[in-house]
Amino acid sequence: MTEIFQYTPGNSPLHRMNPVTKILLTICVCVAAFVTDSLIVLAALFVFDLLIGLTGGVFRKTLAVLKGLVKVSVFLFALQALLVRRGNVLFRIVTDEGLMLASKVVLRLIVVCLPLTLILAVTKISDLANAMVQVLHLPYPYAFTLTTAIRFVPQFMEEMTGIMEAQTARGVEFDTRNSIKKIGMILPLCAPLLISSIRRTTATAVAAEVRGFELRNHGSGYKKYGFGPIDLIAVLISAALIAGAVLLRNIP
Amino acid sequence: MIIAEKVSYGYSGSIRTVSDLSFHIKKGEFAAIVGENGAGKTTTVKLIDGLIKPTSGKMTVCGLDTASSRVSERARHVGFLFQNPDRQICQNTVREEIAFGLRAVSGKKRSDEIDRRTSEMLELFGFTGDEEPFSLSRGQRQQVALASVLAVDPEVLILDEPTTGLDYRECVRIMDMIREMNEQSGTTVVMVCHDMEIVLDYADRALVMAGGALIGDGRVKDIFRDEELMGKASLLPPQITGLALRLGGDFRDIDDAAAMADAVCGRMKEGKAI
Repeated sequence: MTEIFQYTPGNSPLHRMNPVTKILLTICVCVAAFVTDSLIVLAALFVFDLLIGLTGGVFRKTLAVLKGLVKVSVFLFALQALLVRRGNVLFRIVTDEGLMLASKVVLRLIVVCLPLTLILAVTKISDLANAMVQVLHLPYPYAFTLTTAIRFVPQFMEEMTGIMEAQTARGVEFDTRNSIKKIGMILPLCAPLLISSIRRTTATAVAAEVRGFELRNHGSGYKKYGFGPIDLIAVLISAALIAGAVLLRNIP
Repeated sequence: MIIAEKVSYGYSGSIRTVSDLSFHIKKGEFAAIVGENGAGKTTTVKLIDGLIKPTSGKMTVCGLDTASSRVSERARHVGFLFQNPDRQICQNTVREEIAFGLRAVSGKKRSDEIDRRTSEMLELFGFTGDEEPFSLSRGQRQQVALASVLAVDPEVLILDEPTTGLDYRECVRIMDMIREMNEQSGTTVVMVCHDMEIVLDYADRALVMAGGALIGDGRVKDIFRDEELMGKASLLPPQITGLALRLGGDFRDIDDAAAMADAVCGRMKEGKAI
């Protein structure tokens, strides 16, 4: 699970693309997903996400992310389908409008989440931070905060797995099949996770300080992040996505 | 007590594996698993505890197949002390922390037995019980974690690098407690350890691992004198064994500093060359 957020080395067009362009592409997919109200456009955006994964050579990782999202989606779909009262009743309290809305919500969630995780699979975190500082002139502390938050996700997941293993070995029934019981058991684990997170954050802050954290600015980077034809194509695709989503927002 | 029959395991998408492990650790034995980083030591102890299941072969602990029984069920028989005590500690006081494992294993929130065992452990480890675990030093936190594992009185105790990050005094204190439990209660101990001095001082048997395979199994003293085997595992013997091997002859079998000093002094008094 933790490897989902980790960089996959490669030389695909997506790997070679400027990190800022990748951020733009990701934002445009998200904007398009929120602008449109059409299930067909959302489905097309979903196919586009899969194509991103295929082009970046990270299709297996795409499917792994999708697998994780499906679990959340099932819950979300059921919730929406059961709570929406508008439309014609199809079965007991489930209406056609409820099903349609649930499908859109779930598809929108998947369409938005997929590129956000895939960008991390085809971009080194350090490149992401450096490009934002160099190209967008974002102050380094902000870029550092953003990338550190992303970098810590797999580390927290690994820590949580370790804590759960340690507690299971003590007799806490994390290996039970009862999910509700399992959720109740997670509460006492917040303390060790919080403590280890604070310790890790303090250590990271000290390490950053001794390496000249305060001195970094947009001119500090050794590596240059230029724009090439691939970036131009990506920008055109991004514009087309937004335009398409706006023009086709009212089709079913 | 612990029987591994051709046990293999591979992490998905990773090169870390163990293959074809076969060994039998008897009740009351103190066994150390040694090897360089990435040799498969931690994977092996996780397989013994059942935290991971073998991809092939069979691992039996206390008569229970780890593939078909749950880890939490086996917790009353098997205790596991992790390298990082902070993954284990989750309560606000040392007393609560020690009682937590007892409650989890017994399924009871309160009982006289839980109170009695908790008080025993507090006395044994010299805690008042009101200390906040996360405010203690690394060594003391490791002691709290050990106390909560020992409170359950397990038949098998697994230790994954228990002395990492501890100073010599803390290290000896923890290891002495473990040996006492091994000798008095007959607890079977399996320890992963990088410190060969600790292995020589405390373990009876050594299992040597390299590249995910078991390449040596025998008495600690015999294993450390096998220079070819130690070389294959990229390990250095403890200083005293290294010295004994260099001196050779009558000194070769000495594995105690005091005995070595006596032997050298005796030879000098006799006016013989060393």
